[in-house]
Amino acid sequence: MKQFRKMVYPYLLWSTVVIAVPMLLILLYAFTSGGNSVSKFMFSLHNFKRFLTDKTFLEVLYRSLRIAVETTVVCVLLGYPAAYIIAKYSEKVKMRWVLIITLPTWINMLVRTYAWTGILQEDGVINSFLGLFGIGPVTFMYTDFAVILGMVYNFLPFMIIQIYTSLTKMDYSLIEAASDLGANPRKCFTKVTLPLSMPGVISGITLVFLPSVSSFCIPRMLGGGSYVMVGTIIESQFLTASDWNFGSAISLIMAIIIMISMYITKKVDKGEKLEAINA
Amino acid sequence: MSKKKKKIGSTVFMVLMMLFLYAPIIYTIVFSFNEGKSLTNFTGFSLKWYSKMFANKTMMESLFYTIACAVLATAISTVVGTITAIGLSKSRRAVKSVVEQLNQLPIMNPEIVTAIGLLMLFSAIHIEKGFFTMLIAHIMFCIPYVILSVMPKLRTLNPNIAEAAMDLGATPWQALTKVIVPQCMPGIISGALIAFTMSFDDFVISYFVTGNGVSNISILVYTESRRVNPSINALSTLIVLIITVALILVNVIPSIASKKEAKLAVDKDI
Amino acid sequence: MKKGWLVSLAVLALSMMCLTGCGSKEKLKIYLPGEYMSDELVPNFEKQYNCKVDVELFDSNEMMYTKVMAGDSYDVLIPSDYMIERLIKEDYLQKIDVSKLSNFGSVTDALKVAPYNGFDPDNSYSVPYFWGSVGIVYNQNNVPTSEVEAKGFEIMKDTKYSGKIYMYDSERDSFMIAFKSLGYSMNTNEESEIMAAYDWLVELNTTMAPTTVTDEVIDGMAQGRKDLAIVYSGDAAYILSENEDMRYYTPECGTNVWVDAMVIPKNAKNVDLAYKFIDYVISYDAAMGNTEAVGYASVNKDVLAEVTKEGGLYDGNEAYIPRTGFAKDEVFTDNEFLRKKLSELWIKVKASN
Repeated sequence: MKQFRKMVYPYLLWSTVVIAVPMLLILLYAFTSGGNSVSKFMFSLHNFKRFLTDKTFLEVLYRSLRIAVETTVVCVLLGYPAAYIIAKYSEKVKMRWVLIITLPTWINMLVRTYAWTGILQEDGVINSFLGLFGIGPVTFMYTDFAVILGMVYNFLPFMIIQIYTSLTKMDYSLIEAASDLGANPRKCFTKVTLPLSMPGVISGITLVFLPSVSSFCIPRMLGGGSYVMVGTIIESQFLTASDWNFGSAISLIMAIIIMISMYITKKVDKGEKLEAINA
Repeated sequence: MSKKKKKIGSTVFMVLMMLFLYAPIIYTIVFSFNEGKSLTNFTGFSLKWYSKMFANKTMMESLFYTIACAVLATAISTVVGTITAIGLSKSRRAVKSVVEQLNQLPIMNPEIVTAIGLLMLFSAIHIEKGFFTMLIAHIMFCIPYVILSVMPKLRTLNPNIAEAAMDLGATPWQALTKVIVPQCMPGIISGALIAFTMSFDDFVISYFVTGNGVSNISILVYTESRRVNPSINALSTLIVLIITVALILVNVIPSIASKKEAKLAVDKDI
Repeated sequence: MKKGWLVSLAVLALSMMCLTGCGSKEKLKIYLPGEYMSDELVPNFEKQYNCKVDVELFDSNEMMYTKVMAGDSYDVLIPSDYMIERLIKEDYLQKIDVSKLSNFGSVTDALKVAPYNGFDPDNSYSVPYFWGSVGIVYNQNNVPTSEVEAKGFEIMKDTKYSGKIYMYDSERDSFMIAFKSLGYSMNTNEESEIMAAYDWLVELNTTMAPTTVTDEVIDGMAQGRKDLAIVYSGDAAYILSENEDMRYYTPECGTNVWVDAMVIPKNAKNVDLAYKFIDYVISYDAAMGNTEAVGYASVNKDVLAEVTKEGGLYDGNEAYIPRTGFAKDEVFTDNEFLRKKLSELWIKVKASN
C-alpha cells in the first residue's frame, strides 16, 4: 500500500509552484520597492509606511471593516431565525428548504448582483412600486444601503446553512430535559439552543466576514467607482497604477488582519466547545 | 405568543426570505423577455434579446470559455485531487501536514490575494495571460476542494480490502480503480461538483489572470453591465437554465441509476 | 465509462485548438476599444475583400500598450492620441503612406491641423477614426443654461446640485476638468498645479456626493436620473438624442479634445490588407454606418455634412461635432510622470468621501 504514497508527489510539486511561490512573491514584492521586474529590488518598508500613515487609506480600511461587520451582523440577524425555523420542519420539508436556500448560490454572483442594479435604480422596480403610493423616487443605488444589500444577498445562504447544520446536529432531547427541569421556552433557547448552535454561528461569521472585507466587485457595481474598499485599492495597483510593491503590501496587511480574525474565531470556537463540555 | 401566531409568523418570515433570495433571479428572467430596454416597464414579450445575445460574438465566446474552463478544470482537478488524496491517506504525517497547509492557503486567503499572487507568478515566468493561465488558476483552486471532499470518505474506508485485493493477485492499479475509487465515489462526485461550481462562478481570480481577450461570464457581466444591456438578462437566464438542468441531472441520474440497480438485484433474485 | 470521459476531453481540447488556428483566407488582426465599431463594418469588409478579420477588444489604452509592448502582433490598432504619441516615440509604429489611401482626401480638414493633430503633426503615422471632446451634459430644466455657461466646470462643485452629479471614473478626465477650471494646462508637470487640482477634486468629492462611474453615465443621463455629468461628446450625442431635456456644453476655460486614430504597428503581418482596411473605414459607406451605430463624430467630411444637414441624423445635436479652433482646447500628450502621479492621486480622490 505504501507505493500509493508516490501519487502525492506530482501534486506536491504543482502546489509548490502554483500555491507557495505566488505567496512568496507577494512577500517579496511587499517588502521591496523598485518596480515590477524581479531583477531590480531593494528591501524597504516604504510600502507599508505609505499605507499605514495615510489618513485616506486608513479610512478605506476602516470602511471595508465596517461594511464587513455590518454585513455579517445583518446576516446573523436574518440567518439565525431562518435556520431555526427550517431546523424545526420535518425531514422532507427540511431538505426542500435547504435546496431552495442554496440554489441561488449556484448562479454566478455577478449575474445576481447585476439584477439588483436594475431593481434599485431611480427608474427601477422598487421605485416604480413606491411611485404607486406617491413616494419617491428614493435613491438606492450607489449608497451604503445598496452595497450592504448586495453583500448580504450574496452571503446570507452560507450563514443560514452553517447555523442550520449546527442546529440539526443538536440533540433535541437536551431541550426537553431543560424544560422538564422547569425552564421556560425563552430560557431553553438562551441557555441551551443558542450556546450549542454557536459553532455554526461562528463558522457562518467566518464564511461571511472574511470574503466581505476583501470584496471589491459588489461594492463597485452597487456603490459606484467612488465606493473605495481595500480590494479596490489593491485592484487599482495591479491593473491600472502598476505599483505591484504597494499592492502586495496592502494585500499582506489585509491577509494579516484576516488571519488575526480567524485566529480569534478559532479561539472563541474552542472556548465555546470547552464551555459546552464543562457545562 | 400562541403557537398559531408563531406558525404564521415564521411562515411569513420564510416566504419573505424566499422572495428576497429569488426576486433578482425572477426579475432577470422576466425582463429578459421584455420588448423594450426599460428596467421597469414591461412593454411586451419578445425574444429579441436572446437573438442579440446569440449574435454577440463576445458573449458567446465568454460562455464557451466559461464552460470549457469549468469542464476541463473539474475533470483535471477531480482526477489529480482524487489521486493525491489517496496517496495522502497512505503518507507519512509530515507529508500530510505539508500538503494540508498548502491546501489551506487558497481556501483561506481572500481571493484577491491569490489572484495577484498568480498574476505575479505568470509575469515572472513570462507566460502570456489568456485561457491557459485562467485554466491553470482554476485547477489550482479546485484541487484543494476535491481533496477536502475525498479525504473524509477515504478515512472511513477499510484499508484491508485493498490489501486483500492485492494479495489475491490484483495489481496496484486494479486495486486502485476497482476497489478504492468506487468506494469513495460519493466524495469524488461531490468534490467534482464543488470544483465545477467554483470554476463556473469564479470572478476575482479569472479577472486578474486572464488576458488576450479571453473572458468568462462573470468578467463579461462586470464589464458589460456599465451600459443597460438587456442581452445580459438573456445570458443570465440562460445560465440559470443551465445550472438548474445540471442540478436536476445531478440529483436525478444517481437515483435513476440506483433504481436500475435495485431493479436488477430484484430481477436477479426472482 | 472512464474511457468515454477521456475521449470527450480530448475532443474538447482538440476542437478548442482548432477554433484558434483554422482558415486559409488572408487574415487581418485588429485591436480596438469595445463598442466602438458598427457590427456590420467587419463582415462587410470580409465579404468585399474575401478575408478573415480577427477582432480583439481592449478596455483601455494602457491595456493595449501592455500587449503591444509584450510583442503581440496586430495589423491595425486604434489607440488614442496620447498613446499614439507614445507608440511613435518608442518606435512601435510604421509610417503610413497616405497617398496609398484613396479616401484620405475625405478626411475633414479640422483633423489635419492643430490642436487635433498635435500627436502626429505630419499625419505620417495615423489616420483618424473618431474624434470628439469632453463636456458637460446637463438637464436644462433643472440647471439653467446661463449658469452652465457662466461657471463652466465649476458648476460641478455647485452644492445646489449635490447628489445629482455624475463624475467620470477616469483619472485623466477628472483631473483634466480640475486643471482647466483652475486655468492650468492639462499636461502640466508642476507639482503645485497638480496638488491644486487634487484639492479641487477632493473638495468636489466631499461636498457634492458624486456618483463616480464610467459608462453607467450614458444610460443614467438618458434616463434623466441626475442633472449634471462629465461625458464624452459621442456619448453625449446619444444622450441628447434620447432625452430632449439634456444639453451639452464645452466651457470657456477649454477642455480636452481628442482623436482616436488607426495605426499600423511595425510587427504587422499583413500590411497590404491593413491599408485596405484603413481605406475602407474612412470611405463614405463604412464611415456612415460607423457614426450611425456608435454616435461619435465621423472623420469623413461628406458623412459629417450629410448627418448634420437639415433633417439629418444628428441635425441639431449640439454634442455631435466637437469644437474646433478654440485656443484653450488641448489634446493630451504622452507624459509618464503625470500619468503615474495622477494614478496615485486618483484613488485617493475617490476614497476621500
